[in-house]
Amino acid sequence: MNLKTEVLIIGGGATGAGIARDLSLRGIPCLLVEKGDFLSGASGRNHGLFHSGGRYVVADPEAARECIAENRILRKIASRCVEETDGLFISLPEDGLDFRDRFVRACEEAAIPARLLSQDEALSLEPGLNPDLKSAVAVPDGSIDPFELVLENAGDAEAHGATFLLHTEVTSLLLDGDRVKAVVAKDLLRGEEYRIEASYLVNATGAWADRFLRLAGLHIAMALSKGSMLVTNQRVSHRVINRCRPPSDGDIIVPNHTVSILGTTSIRLEEIEHLEITPPEVSLLIREASRMVPAIETTRFIRAYAGVRPLFLSGEEGGDRAISRGFVLIDHEKRDGIRNLITVTGGKLVTYRLMAEKASDLVCQKMGINHPSVTHTKPLPGAGQRAGLKERLKTLGQGEILCDCELVRREEAEEVFREGKLKNPLDILHRTRLAKGTCQGAFCVYRLLGLLNESGKIRGDSNTILKGFLEERWKGIRPVLWGTSVREEELIESIYKGIFNL
Amino acid sequence: MDERTWPNNNTDVCIRCAACMAVCPVSRVTPLFPGPKQTGPGAQRFRKPGDPSVDEWIDLCIGCRLCDLACSSGVPISELNLIARAKYLDEKKRPLRDWLLTHSYLFSRVASFFSPITNFLFKNRGVRWMADLLLKIDRRRELPVYESPTFRQWFGGHRSTGEKKIAYFYGCYINTNEVDVGKAAVQVLEANGLEVFLPPQECCGLPMLGNGDFEGARKMGLKNVPSLLQAIRSGSEIIFSSTSCGEMIKHEYNRLLAIPGAEEVAPHLFDLFEYLRKLKESGNLNLRLKELPIRAAYFAPCHLRSLGIGLPALDILRLIPGLHIENIDADCCGLGGTFGFKKEKYEISQEIGKDLKEAIDRLNPEAVLTDCEGCRMQIRHLTGLKVLHPVQLLRDALT
Amino acid sequence: MQYDLIVIGMGLSGLMAARTAAETGRKVLIIGKGMGCLTLFSNTIDLLGKIPGTMELRDGLSQWIKDHPDHPYSKVGLNGVEEGIASFSSLFRSPYSFRAIGDRNSFIPTGAGHRRPTYLIPGTMIAGASCNKALIIGFKGFRDFSAGYVAGPLKWRGTTLSVPSLFNREISATALSRWMERESFRETIARDIRKHLKEESCVGLPAILGIHDPIKVKMDLEEKIGVEVFEIPGLPPSLPGMRIFNRVKEWLIGKGVDFLYGYPVSEISVKEKEVKGIDVHHPPASGFHSADRFILATGRFIGGGLTADRGSVSEPLFHLPVAQPGSREEWFGKSFFDEHPIHRAGILTDSSLRPVDQTEKPLFENVWIAGTMLAGHRCIDEISREGIEIATGYMAAKNAMKQ
Repeated sequence: MNLKTEVLIIGGGATGAGIARDLSLRGIPCLLVEKGDFLSGASGRNHGLFHSGGRYVVADPEAARECIAENRILRKIASRCVEETDGLFISLPEDGLDFRDRFVRACEEAAIPARLLSQDEALSLEPGLNPDLKSAVAVPDGSIDPFELVLENAGDAEAHGATFLLHTEVTSLLLDGDRVKAVVAKDLLRGEEYRIEASYLVNATGAWADRFLRLAGLHIAMALSKGSMLVTNQRVSHRVINRCRPPSDGDIIVPNHTVSILGTTSIRLEEIEHLEITPPEVSLLIREASRMVPAIETTRFIRAYAGVRPLFLSGEEGGDRAISRGFVLIDHEKRDGIRNLITVTGGKLVTYRLMAEKASDLVCQKMGINHPSVTHTKPLPGAGQRAGLKERLKTLGQGEILCDCELVRREEAEEVFREGKLKNPLDILHRTRLAKGTCQGAFCVYRLLGLLNESGKIRGDSNTILKGFLEERWKGIRPVLWGTSVREEELIESIYKGIFNL
Repeated sequence: MDERTWPNNNTDVCIRCAACMAVCPVSRVTPLFPGPKQTGPGAQRFRKPGDPSVDEWIDLCIGCRLCDLACSSGVPISELNLIARAKYLDEKKRPLRDWLLTHSYLFSRVASFFSPITNFLFKNRGVRWMADLLLKIDRRRELPVYESPTFRQWFGGHRSTGEKKIAYFYGCYINTNEVDVGKAAVQVLEANGLEVFLPPQECCGLPMLGNGDFEGARKMGLKNVPSLLQAIRSGSEIIFSSTSCGEMIKHEYNRLLAIPGAEEVAPHLFDLFEYLRKLKESGNLNLRLKELPIRAAYFAPCHLRSLGIGLPALDILRLIPGLHIENIDADCCGLGGTFGFKKEKYEISQEIGKDLKEAIDRLNPEAVLTDCEGCRMQIRHLTGLKVLHPVQLLRDALT
Repeated sequence: MQYDLIVIGMGLSGLMAARTAAETGRKVLIIGKGMGCLTLFSNTIDLLGKIPGTMELRDGLSQWIKDHPDHPYSKVGLNGVEEGIASFSSLFRSPYSFRAIGDRNSFIPTGAGHRRPTYLIPGTMIAGASCNKALIIGFKGFRDFSAGYVAGPLKWRGTTLSVPSLFNREISATALSRWMERESFRETIARDIRKHLKEESCVGLPAILGIHDPIKVKMDLEEKIGVEVFEIPGLPPSLPGMRIFNRVKEWLIGKGVDFLYGYPVSEISVKEKEVKGIDVHHPPASGFHSADRFILATGRFIGGGLTADRGSVSEPLFHLPVAQPGSREEWFGKSFFDEHPIHRAGILTDSSLRPVDQTEKPLFENVWIAGTMLAGHRCIDEISREGIEIATGYMAAKNAMKQ
C-alpha cells in the first residue's frame, strides 16, 4: 500500500507523539509509524518522576532550568497526567550537609522553589522516612503518568489530522541523492507492507536512533544505559523521595497511582531488546532505597522492569549540535547532507514538549514556513484534575470491576475497545490501569479475554493471547519472586497450569 | 479517634486468593458489599492519609470475622473494615439511632424497672412504626423484652457458696433481658463447687466498637478493666457466658483499644464452657447429670469461633445422657449485634439468616442452643423455635 | 488437654490425617492458620495427571512408584494410596459423591476450554468428561467465567445469560450459587437455556451449583432443561472445594475432633527429640495444647508451610531442613510454563513420613509430615495435588497411630 504524507515521524514515544501534536496544531500533515504500541521504549519504561529540576540543579543548572520551566507548563497543559505530590531531597547522616547547602543555593539560582525542612517536619510529612535523616528540602517534584501523557498527545494530534501506524516497523529507507525518497514499513501483526513517501522525516526513535539511521547508511555515536526499577505493592511514601547527594543509583522513590517505583540503576548495554533485571540490581535498589525508607527492606514488590536511556555522545563529530545538554537535535542536512531528515533523541520525559517544539521548529524552518508552536499554552484535551486514589476507590461497588487490584471497571475497558483502534487487544494494558496492581493481571486479563470473547472482539482460542500475556508478565515478576510474591505465584501457577491445564 | 493509635496492619501479605470471598456472609447475599478481599486489603492500597473516606459500602460489613479466620495469609480483614468504618462514620456523622442502639446500657435499668410498660411499648405496633419511621429501626424486628428484677438484683438476694471464688461477667443482655441464663450460669458454677461473685461491670463496649465508635468503646473498657483486674488480683478467674462480651474483653480491649491492664485480664478470662471443659479435663467436673431426651441443635456464634477455643459447649453438652445434639452447619446468623436492627440492613440480615434457618430445618431440632444473645434473638426471629443458652440445658440436666 | 494427635494444617492432608486418627477413636485436635486452601484450587481429586487416559491408574501408579523412589507416593506405597483414596471417598456418600470412570484418568473441561486429566470426579462434573458437544452457559456479571472463552477451544457454543432482575451488577460465585439453590431461579434460567439449546447433548455451567445440595440443583436443572448438566471448575473461590471442606469439617466435629482455625501456631515446645506441645498466640493471650504425636501438614508457600525469603526456602515452625535448589536465581525458569525447580523444594522424610536430617535420621520421635510440603514431587506439573494430600495425610496418621 502506498501512503503519502508531509512529515513522517518514526517512533511513538513521548517525543514522537509530541511532535505529531505540535505539527498538526501548526496545520502540518503528519504520519507517525511505531513498531510497537505507543510508549514501547523508554517513555513507557521510566519511574514517572515529574522532575522539578532539583535532581540536576547542582551538576547541570541549565538542564534544571529547562525542567522547571517545562514542569510549570505541564502542570497547566497536562494537569490530568500529573500528580502534584511534591518531593523531598533528604539528607542522611552519611550525606553531609555540604551538598545540601549547595543544593538549596542552586535551586534558588535556577528559580526552583525549595524549602528546607527540619527532621521533625520531614518525618511528620512522611512518617516512613529514615528517622536518622538530618533534614529535607521540599521541591515541586511530582509524578507523571507517561501513558496518559502520550495518549493524550496522540489523541489531540489525531483530532487535528495526524495519522498513526502502530505495530508497523520501518524496514528500509529509499534514498534518492540528497534526500530520503520513501520508506518501506511492515505491519508486524497483519503482515501488510507500506511504501510511505514523505517530504520530511523525523527520527524520534529514542534508543533506536542509531539503528534507524543505519537504514540510511548513517551513524551517530550513542551509548545505551539500562535503568532498572522495582514496583512496590503499595505506596511507601506519598511524596517523591530523593537523596540529597549527587545523583546515583537507587536514590529515587516515586509514588505513582497505587504503587511506588524505586529507581534506578545505570548499566551500559550493547543491545536494546531482551532487557533482564539481575538479582544484584534488585539487591542494590532495595539496599539503597531502604536507606531512605527503611520499610522497603521488607516491603512487597510486584514487578521489576527496565528501560534504556539513549545517551548521545556529543562532540565526537563536528557537525552535531547539542540544543541543550538534555537532548539533541540533529539536522542531517548539515551533518550528512541528507536534506529531509532530522533526528531528535535523549532528553527527559518532562522535557518531551520542548523537544517536540524544537524538532517541529526545525521542520518548519526546512519547509520555509513560519508557524509558531502553541503547545506551551494549549492544554491537552483531557485537561482537568488527575483522578486521585480516592476517586478510584469510589468506583468500588459501582458496577462491574474487571481488575480488582486497580479497580478498573468493565465499562472503562469496553470504552477503549469501542474506539476500535487496538490492533493488539493487550494494548489495552497501556490505556488503563488494568494489570498494574498486586496480581499483575493474573486474574483480570483472563476476565478481559472473556469479555472480548463475549463481545466478538476476538474469536476462537483465546489461550494463545493468554499464554502470551502470562509470559510477558513473567518477565516482570520473576526478578521479585520471594516472600509473599512466591505465595501468590504458586496460586497463579496452580490456576493456569492446574485448574486450566494450559 | 486518633488514627495513630490504630494497629498497623501489613496488607501486603494478601495474595488475592479469594478464600475470604468464599466465606463472607454479606457478599453472598448482596452485591452492595464488594466483599472482604476488596474492602479490606484491596481498598487499603487506595487509602491515603488525609483523604476523606469514600467507603460507602463499609458499613455493610457485619463484623462476623469469618474472613479473618479463613485467611491463611494472616490479613486482619475485619479489623481493617472496622477502622475504615470508624473513619467513614466519624466523617459522615452517626445517626441518633446508632447512638441509641449502642448505648442501651444507659437506660436498660430503667427499662427493666418499668418492664411491663417497656415491653408493652416495645411490642406496640404503633411504637414500632414510629421507631421505624423516625429512627430507622426496622419494625419487623422484635425488640428485646425486659425483665424485672434484673439478674444483678436477683443475685443480690442470692447467697452463693463454694470452695473457690469465681467472678462472673454476665453482660447487659443477661442482666435485664435473659435473667435465667445468668441464674443458670450461677447454678452450674455452684454445682461445681464454685462461689460466684459479680465484680462491678458496665457494658463491654462491643456495640460501640462494632459501630465504629472507638472512643465510646474505649470508655467502657477503661471502666471494666480495673474492676476485672481487682477480681484477678484477689485470686479469682473470670467467667463470661456471652461470647461477644468475652471476645471483646479478651482480645479487642488489648489489640484495638489498647486499654492498660487488658493484657493482664486476658489469660484469666474464660468462656463458661471453656472453663467447664477445663474442669472436666482435670477430673473436677460435676458429671451427675440426668437424662434429657431432647433433640437439640447447637450453633456456634461468630465470636465464639473467633475466640479460637473450639466448641466447648458442644463438648460438655455431649456428656448429657439422652441428649441428641448436632452441630449446625452454617456460619453467621445475620444479626450482627445492632446490624440487623437497622432498617437499611434488615433485609440483608434476614437473607444471611435464611441460610442458617435452612441448616436448622435440615436438622429439625426441638431446641436450638447457642452462646450468644444476638444469635438467640435472631434464631427465635427466624424459626420461632425454643432457643436457649447451652448453660440453661446443662442446668436442667443437673441432678 | 492432652491429645493423642495434634494436626497442624487444615488443608486436605491435615483433614485426612485428622479423619484417619479420629476414625480409630483417638482424641484429635486439628488447627489451621486459615481454613486450608481447598477453596482455592481443588475441585476434583487429581491423582496423577501424567498417566495417560488409556492406562489403568493402578498400573500407571505402580510404574510411577518404581520410577520415582523419592516421590511421596513411593513412601505411601500403592496400597496406601488406594486406602487413602477409599477413605476419602467413603466420606462422600450419595448424593454428593466422587467417582473415577473406569479406574483411569478422565478429562474434564476447564475454565480455559482445555481438558484436564483428573481422577475422582464429583457427581456434578462427571457428565463433562464424556460430553462431546455441550452448550456452555455463563452469566452476565459473573466475570470469572466466560462461556465464549470456554467454548472456543473446545469448538462448542457458549452463551451468556442475562437475568435482568439479578445481574445489573457484579455477582460473586457464592452469591450466584445461592441463587442457584432457588427453584424459581432455576426455572428462569432453564427456560433461557432451552431457548439457546440446539443439537447439544449437555449443558456446561460454571461450578456454582449450590453449596448444600448441588446434586439436587443439577438434577432439577436437568429435568427442566432436558439434557445432562455439568459443572466446569474455574477461578477461585472454588465452591466444589468448599463442599469438600465443609463435609470433612462436619464429620470431624461430629466425631468430637477439636477444630480450631484462624490462628497460627506460634511456637512448638520440644524436649529432647520429642515435641510436647504447641503454643497458639491470640493476642494478648496464648493457648498451649499438648499431644503425644504431631502431624505437620501446613502446605507449601500459600499455606505457609514453606517460606521463601530473598536467600532461601525454609520451614518456619519446626525449622526442618528443606531440600531446595541453590540460589534465588535458580528457583524459577525463564518461561512461566517451565517446571520451576523451586516446586521440587520440600521436607525430606523417611519411609514412614518422619522428617529427617542430612544423615537421614528422624529429627523427632513423634512428628510426621503430610501433604504438599513434602519433597520429591511437583504436584502442579504432575497434576497430583489432592492425591498426594489424601495419601500422605492418611498414611502419616496411620504411621503415627501405630507408634
